[in-house]
Amino acid sequence: MSRLYLYGITRPRDLPERLTGQGISLIESEGRAAVVSELDEGPVEATRRNLLAHADVVEQLHEDAVVLPARFGYILDSEDEALELLALPEIEQLLERHKGTCELTLRGTYEESVLAEVGAALEPLREAYRAAPSVEAGIALGEAVGEGLADRRARDQTLVLDELRPLALEVLTSEPAGEFGAFNAALLVERGGVEAVEKQLEQLAGRMSPPLHFKLVGPLPPYSFVRLQMPAVA
Amino acid sequence: MQRESSAGYITRAPRSSGLADVLEILLDRGLVIDAYVRVSLVGIELLTVDLRVVIASVDTYLRFAEAVNRLDLRQVDDSKSVPDLFEKGGEEVASTKTKGAVEGGMDAIKEKIGLGSGSDDDDDDDDGGNSRSRSRSRSSSR
Repeated sequence: MSRLYLYGITRPRDLPERLTGQGISLIESEGRAAVVSELDEGPVEATRRNLLAHADVVEQLHEDAVVLPARFGYILDSEDEALELLALPEIEQLLERHKGTCELTLRGTYEESVLAEVGAALEPLREAYRAAPSVEAGIALGEAVGEGLADRRARDQTLVLDELRPLALEVLTSEPAGEFGAFNAALLVERGGVEAVEKQLEQLAGRMSPPLHFKLVGPLPPYSFVRLQMPAVA
Repeated sequence: MQRESSAGYITRAPRSSGLADVLEILLDRGLVIDAYVRVSLVGIELLTVDLRVVIASVDTYLRFAEAVNRLDLRQVDDSKSVPDLFEKGGEEVASTKTKGAVEGGMDAIKEKIGLGSGSDDDDDDDDGGNSRSRSRSRSSSR
């Protein structure tokens, strides 16, 4: 019997042709359904194309109704294993909890001009570097810039999230990527609450940009809010 | 798919549109059940290396120092620094001039360190192959 790749879990329904045409089907049981496709031999490659294909499936299904997106690379050995998964009481709880929710991801990024702002407070070190641009002076200045940037990040993340938190059911943050990343946040909101976040963000941008740029993606399925705490079975 | 807000500082996308959007949420999050999961993956390490730039490196510090040194601090809008106060009066001429200087400086820096505007997203790589070779060259240069 072939293995199955799991995209996520949803409620039973008709799949759009665009998805059935890609070999995607549902395994249904008692009002719950696993979104799967048959898997060829070999491991799942985490390529850009595969990752985006996974996202495309769960995001399309999320447009109409609740989807619990699976982590990329979740493979079931058989249909029975899918049925076992669907029978877990935690799955039903999550489907109920996320009936009307969605996730918004928000990334803050600085433009390079933030360095001028950070550097403005570092006159003695800048002066020393300018006078004698040695590696040591460069590291001393650069380290101070790095620290200033870290302070700035912490301050801006607090400012932004303090204003958005009242609009969200839950907020998760993670380390920003890259030297100019300011913050990464995932907001769980009601589907009807997206507009309120957008409006608040416009206001924040009015006060904090430049140098802060925002990228808001969503409404997405609740990727960051479907974690189960289950004991591992030996 | 994406549009810039009127202010130009908010990028809005209704769905994930690039690798940077999905990498973290698909690899670190999403439904997973320890007892049942059968994860079978290749390529993860290479992909994540690409996104998680190590900040605390001498290389980065020197780049920061260089950038701060070249940036004209008068360009900072809300700066209350001394040069800013002295520039009052000749503001228009001064700001036009410094703008050019700053942009020229940053372009030079960006060119030097290979930091293009596309470094955040991934419109350039069409498959895993490209990002792999990039990761490799980056990690070997550290």
